[in-house]
Amino acid sequence: MIIEIGHFAVVVALVLTTLGIAAPIIGLRTRSPEWVRVGRMAVTLIFVLLAIGMGSLVYSFIVRDFSIQYVANTSNSKLPFFYTVSAVWGGHEGSLLLWVFILSAFSTVAVWLHWKTQPVIMPYLIAVESLVMCGFLTLIVFLSSPFERLFPVPLDGKDLNPLLQDPAMVMHPPMLYMGYVGFSIPFAFAMAALFSGRLGEEWIKVTQRWTIFAWLCLTTGILMGGYWAYYELGWGGYWGWDPVENASFMPWLVGTAFLHSVMVQEKRKMFKVWNLFLIIVTFSLSLIGTFLVRSGVLTSVHTFATDPRRGLYILLFLTVIMGLAFGTLILQGAKLRSQVQLDSIVSRESAFLFNNLFFMVAAATVFLGTLYPLMIETWKGAKVTVGPPYYNAVFMPVALGLLFLMGIGPYIPWRKASRESLKKNFLIPMMVGAAAAALLFLLGIRSPYALAGALIVGFVATTIFVDFGKISVIYARRDRVGYARGFLTAFAANQRRYAGLITHIGVLILVIGIIASTVYQTEKVVSLRVGDEFPIDVYRMKLLRIHEVSGPNWNAQEGVFQVFRGDRLITELRPQKRVYTESQTPTTESAIYEINMGHIFLTMPEVSPDGVAVARGVINPLILWVWGGGGIMGLGVLLNIFRPRKRDE
Amino acid sequence: MWTRGKKTGIIVSVLAVAGALGYLALGNFGENLVYFFTPSEVTAFTPDYYRKKVRVGGMVVKGSVKTRPSAVGMTFALTDGAATIPVTFEGIPPDLFKEGQGAVVEGYWTDAKQFHSNMIMAKHSEDYMPIELRRAGVELPKKDFMKTLRQ
Repeated sequence: MIIEIGHFAVVVALVLTTLGIAAPIIGLRTRSPEWVRVGRMAVTLIFVLLAIGMGSLVYSFIVRDFSIQYVANTSNSKLPFFYTVSAVWGGHEGSLLLWVFILSAFSTVAVWLHWKTQPVIMPYLIAVESLVMCGFLTLIVFLSSPFERLFPVPLDGKDLNPLLQDPAMVMHPPMLYMGYVGFSIPFAFAMAALFSGRLGEEWIKVTQRWTIFAWLCLTTGILMGGYWAYYELGWGGYWGWDPVENASFMPWLVGTAFLHSVMVQEKRKMFKVWNLFLIIVTFSLSLIGTFLVRSGVLTSVHTFATDPRRGLYILLFLTVIMGLAFGTLILQGAKLRSQVQLDSIVSRESAFLFNNLFFMVAAATVFLGTLYPLMIETWKGAKVTVGPPYYNAVFMPVALGLLFLMGIGPYIPWRKASRESLKKNFLIPMMVGAAAAALLFLLGIRSPYALAGALIVGFVATTIFVDFGKISVIYARRDRVGYARGFLTAFAANQRRYAGLITHIGVLILVIGIIASTVYQTEKVVSLRVGDEFPIDVYRMKLLRIHEVSGPNWNAQEGVFQVFRGDRLITELRPQKRVYTESQTPTTESAIYEINMGHIFLTMPEVSPDGVAVARGVINPLILWVWGGGGIMGLGVLLNIFRPRKRDE
Repeated sequence: MWTRGKKTGIIVSVLAVAGALGYLALGNFGENLVYFFTPSEVTAFTPDYYRKKVRVGGMVVKGSVKTRPSAVGMTFALTDGAATIPVTFEGIPPDLFKEGQGAVVEGYWTDAKQFHSNMIMAKHSEDYMPIELRRAGVELPKKDFMKTLRQ
C-alpha cells in the first residue's frame, strides 16, 4: 500500500513538471508574476512528492517487502540494516529516482533562495529545472520504475551486489549525483542569462557557491569511488580508467576549468561566451555520465542493465537539452564580445587561458578514449578498448603542466607581468623546486615523474607558503599581534583567495600521494601453504593458519598472516575470501595495515581445497596522502563556501 | 591596444601549446587500442596479429582448468562453440572465474597456437555474458555468462 502511494506521488510529480515548464513561460508572455509564483509552487510540490516517493521506497526496503520487484532484486532478509537503506540506490531504478530527488531538492532551495534577488532570472530557472526533472521522471515512470510489484512474491530477495555492501559505496552515488545535479543550477542560471539577455557577470557571481559546492560533491564522490575500488576490488589500485570512472571524471575536468575561468570574467570581463560554453558542456557531461552508467552501453563494473529503450530515451533527452542549450548559445553568443582583450602572454589572464586549454585537452582525451570504442563498434563493427597506458601517457604531462600553472596563476599580475615582478615572485620558488628535485636525485630517486613532480610541487608549495608568510607578517605588524593572529586576519580579509590556495595545497599533497603510490608501488603474488612465508619490499609475510569465519550473510575463509620487518613482528593481517550465501557470489576482502603514511595491503584471492593459498601483497607508499590531500581540498572548498559575504556579492 | 606583433605572438604560443597537447592526445592513441576477438577469429589470425595485445571472450571449457604447480597461474581452454584455444594464464583470476562460465582474457596469440594472458575479466552477476560476445552473435546459455570487469 505504502509503495503505491509513493508511485502515485511520483506520477503526480511528473504531471506537475509540465506545469513547472509552462507556468513561468506563460508568466513571461503575459508579464504576470502570479504565474511565476505558480511555477515556484510546482517546483516545491515536486520536491515534496518525490520525498514521499523516496520515503515509500526506503520504507519498503526497511520492512523488506519482497513483493516489490526492485526490493527483491537488490536486497535480502539477511542484508544488514545499513546496507538495506543504501540498497535503495543499489540498482538502476532507485538511483535514477535518487538523482531526480536531489535535483528537485536543489531546485527548490535555489528557487526560494534567489527568489527576491533574482526576479528576472527566476522564470527561466524554474522552467529549465522543471524540464530536466520532466525528462528524468518520464524515464522513471515509463521505462524504469522502482515501484513495480512482483507476482508470485518471492520468499526472499536476491541480495544486494556484495561489492556494493561497503560503507564507501553507501555515500559514493549520492555524492556523485549531488555533484552532477549541483551543476544544473549554474547551468540553469546560464540558460536564463542567455534567454533573458542579461549577460553580465551577475549569473556567475550568484552561482559561484553553487558551482563550488557541486565541485566539492563531485570531487568527494570520485575520491570515495577510488577509495572503494582500492580496498574492495582487491587489486591494490584506486583508479583504472574504467569507462564509468571516466564518465564522472569528464564533468569534473570541465567543471574545474569552469570554476577557474569564471574568475577571469569577474575580474576582467573576458571569456564571456567561453564560460557559458563551459557550464553547458559541464552539465551535458553530467547527463552523459548518467547516460553512460545507466544505459549499459559501456561494459563496466557499474553497468546495471542493458535495456536499449532506456538508452535510446536518454540519448533523445540528451539531444533535446544539449540542442536547446547550444542552439541558444550560438544565437545569443554573437551579442557577446569581450570588451577587453588579452594584453600579454605573460599575464594572469593567459595563465587562466592555458589552465582551460589543459583541462579541455584532458577532458577531450577522456572523452575520446571512452567513446571511441562505441563509435568504432557502431561504424566498423569491431570491438575495441582503450587501455590505461594511453590515459597515463597523456595525463602525466597534462597534470604536470596544470600543476605548474597552479604556481603561476595566483601570483602573476593581471594584464602584463614585468620582468621584475616575475623575478620577485618566482625566482626563489623555482630554486626551491630545483633543490627538492636535486635532493631526491641524490637520495637515489631516478623516476622522471617523481623528479619532475618534486620540482613542480616544490615550486608551487613555495609560492603558496611565501605568500602565507608575507601576509602573516604584514597583518601581524599592522595590528601588533602574533603571526598566527595576523595570518588569520589576513585569511579572513581575502578568504576566497586563500581558501582556494588551501585547496591547491590539498592538490599538491594528493599529487605526491599519487606519484609515490604509483611509481614506488611493490606488488607480489605468490602461492603458499600454511607455515610458508614470502618477502616483499622490506617485509616478510608468513601464513600462520587458514580458518572459517562467517558474517550475517556470508561465510569466509580467513588467512592469518604475520608481517615482519627483520625479526620484528609488525602486525597480523587477516584477508578473507568470502562467499555471500544468497547469491553465492565470492569476493576478496583485503586486509590493510597503515605504516609511515603508506599501506601494507594483502589479499588472499584463492584457497584451493588442498590448502594452497594464493596471496597478493602490495606495498603502497604514501597512499594516505591521496585521501589526506583530498580532505584538505575539501576543507579549502568549505572555507570558500562559508566565507563572510562581501559587499559586492 | 594590441600591436600586430604582440597579437601574433600570443596566437602562436597558444597554438603551439594546443598543438603539442593535441599531438600528445592523438599520437598515443593508435598503439593503445586493444581489439576484441572470439576464439574462432583468433584461430584464423594471420602472423601479423601474433604477439599483439588483444582480448578474447569465450566460455571456459569444463574440466580444462589446470593449475601450474611451479608458478601462480593456470592453463585452460576457451571456446566460443565453434573453435577452442588453449590459454596459459599467469596471475590471479578474478573471483568469479569458473569452469563452464564466460571470461574475457587479455594477452597475445603466438605462432605455437597458444594464448598467453596475464589478465582475466569476469563480472559478478550470473545473468550476464560478455557483452562483446553477445554483440558478436555468439549463442551460449545466458545463465552461465558474466560480463567483463576490469580487476
